[in-house]
Amino acid sequence: MIFTMETIQIAAFLGAALSVGIASITCGIGVGYIASAASYGIMRQPDSHDKLFRAMFIGQAVTETGGIFSLVIALLLMFGGFDVVEGGWFRFSALLSAGIAVGIGSLGPVTGAGYAGGQACHAISRMPRQSNSILGYMLIGQALAQTSSIFALLVSLLLLYSTPLQDSIPNLSAGHILLRSVAYLGAGLAIGIGTIGPGAGIGNVAGKGCRMVGKFPGQKSHIMRTMFLGAAVSQSTAIYALVVSFLLIFSVK
Amino acid sequence: MDQLARAAALLGAGIAMGIGALGPGIGEGFVAGKACEGIARAPEHASLITRTMLVGQAVSESTGIYSLVIALLLIFST
Repeated sequence: MIFTMETIQIAAFLGAALSVGIASITCGIGVGYIASAASYGIMRQPDSHDKLFRAMFIGQAVTETGGIFSLVIALLLMFGGFDVVEGGWFRFSALLSAGIAVGIGSLGPVTGAGYAGGQACHAISRMPRQSNSILGYMLIGQALAQTSSIFALLVSLLLLYSTPLQDSIPNLSAGHILLRSVAYLGAGLAIGIGTIGPGAGIGNVAGKGCRMVGKFPGQKSHIMRTMFLGAAVSQSTAIYALVVSFLLIFSVK
Repeated sequence: MDQLARAAALLGAGIAMGIGALGPGIGEGFVAGKACEGIARAPEHASLITRTMLVGQAVSESTGIYSLVIALLLIFST
């Protein structure tokens, strides 16, 4: 197959479409879950509608972060000028993989952040006086859940900016080209799929934490400690995936 | 042909670590969520619940570590 400008543009546009398309699935679900919880809460506590609206809005903004990451990568893929024909198959698979990494990589974190935001809205409607501390727990929990989507963004940016052009390396055999191209694809898949579990799991921790702060405000410090400990252990698999991605990008020669 | 096999191994490393991290992540998060609930309801048993949570998470983590080992083997020993 002759490598032309069109070949590499296929990868750039396919990567952009996959990135935004896959990420939108759970962005919509997560943001909608928060809004539904807030609406239900306003029905139960019409007097604290301003607190619920504030929590809903902040929670939705943090949840949307994963979607914004994938939008940024999609725009970079389309208009960033990465589709140069000298890039060859290296650049082809790096562009495709960058889109897949950030697209699949925001599925889990966004689900988790959405669950945490929804549970926080439920908790505020049950205990409006504790709304400030519930909001603080929600933000901390959502930030923990979004960490793994930042890992995916990092790998995507590395794939875009620090992969070599194929023509800049002399005397490449066909086998070497295949090897490195497939390694870039593997890096994107590892961090992309690898963040689904930790993101969703930490979101579950954060949601349960918010709910219990609303029910038992006296146990805040205990809940915070357990939340951090559990989230840190849950994050470890995302870090393994990050390590494997780095190895696949930088150590395959 | 040798390079093709090695390329498949590298792709396999990515997929192994990716899918292998799904289960432990969700499972450990579930454990920690329930532990938060339990500690809020029964704070006098906080240390017992934390201990159980950590043991459960460690066991749940093991499959994630298996995938890491397999991924590293696929990258470095093929």
